[in-house]
Amino acid sequence: MPPVHKDVNSKQRQYEAMVRAWSADLYRFAFWLCRNEALAQDLVQETFLRAWKNLDALRDAELAKPWLITILRREHARLYERKRFDTVELDDTVPEDTAWASPERSGDAAHVRDAMMKLPNKYREPLAMQVLGGMSCDEIAAATEQQPGAVMTQLFRARQRLKSLLGGRAAAEGAL
Amino acid sequence: MDCLQFRRQLMAEPRSHDPQLLAHREECPACQAFWLRTQHFEDQLEQAMDVPVPAGLADRILLAQATDARRRQMVRRRGWLAVAASILIAVGGGTVMWRQAQSHSLPVLAVAHMPKEISALALTAAIPDSMVTEGFAERGTTMRGPMPLHVTYVHDCQVGPYRAVHVVSRVDGQPVVALYMPGKMTDKPEHFSRGGWTGREIPLNDGTLVVLAQHASPDALDQAEAGWRMAIDGPGGPSLTSI
Repeated sequence: MPPVHKDVNSKQRQYEAMVRAWSADLYRFAFWLCRNEALAQDLVQETFLRAWKNLDALRDAELAKPWLITILRREHARLYERKRFDTVELDDTVPEDTAWASPERSGDAAHVRDAMMKLPNKYREPLAMQVLGGMSCDEIAAATEQQPGAVMTQLFRARQRLKSLLGGRAAAEGAL
Repeated sequence: MDCLQFRRQLMAEPRSHDPQLLAHREECPACQAFWLRTQHFEDQLEQAMDVPVPAGLADRILLAQATDARRRQMVRRRGWLAVAASILIAVGGGTVMWRQAQSHSLPVLAVAHMPKEISALALTAAIPDSMVTEGFAERGTTMRGPMPLHVTYVHDCQVGPYRAVHVVSRVDGQPVVALYMPGKMTDKPEHFSRGGWTGREIPLNDGTLVVLAQHASPDALDQAEAGWRMAIDGPGGPSLTSI
């Protein structure tokens, strides 16, 4: 039955192209969600398996990345729903200019990475969606079923916290 | 937009191209400096989040997908094989059961019985009605109507597992055999043709009548059936007698 064969091949081709195009970005996103390389790989693999089973639901290639991120977030939520320990509360005051200035003077990517690792998940996740997924506040809000204003606050606090963490380290090293 | 709004929005969306944001940046030197630092920090953040991807990740994902797809295909194939095997067993079993049922059907038994009594077909002299009545009585059947014309033979026989009254009558000069099996109930009349014999199986009274003949016309079978129906059921037929 040539038409069916052709259809299967085109689906396979679409899937392979999607894996090649987005698996790296998805891995990075998964890593920043779970902060564990092995688990991130498992998450990405499971995400793509689910994507394969539901590939017919993807109508627009432009939406492939946010679609995959949504699947991955659900997989992550299933795996880690009971393992969240995000209890750090942050104030949302705008820091002093010196504090704002500290991160860019305070360290390399490794230090920023360390600070990222310490960020609570509720800040790390939208930040990863924005920085790695290229998603706008509205898109993140739609994906996480929140108000755009709430997402903006999370992103604001995420950077505020990050800079605070980096500022503290820089201060300890005498960099400030 | 004031400086506080500018910084709040920039902290949330550092790569924003909002015209209001950009306009404030142009008119406020302090915020312009803040914007530059924020962009620099954002560059560092992107660099930091760009963690190394394990080698061969895409290939492993594709391998997992191919393996999963193949496993599902095998499961589906096994499922189809199981269905096919079930159908085969059902058809085979059904065929065996059907053949078994067929080998015990009245037409088969009746035709198989004929060679034993083939000489009766040659008889042409009519026997008395009383002999016919007596023959049926021996099988526990009381005749309710007049005997058919020109009955030439009556005998109690064993047709397969069934006790039967074997009678032959002449219809248009041709011998037509009737086998009446009291107590053998059938659901509905059936016509048959096998082994050179044409006939029909008819539920009648509390038994079954099989009428059959070689080279006889349907009209002859009709006449024989009607004659024996009248004799066994009586003029009123089953509905009348049952009232």
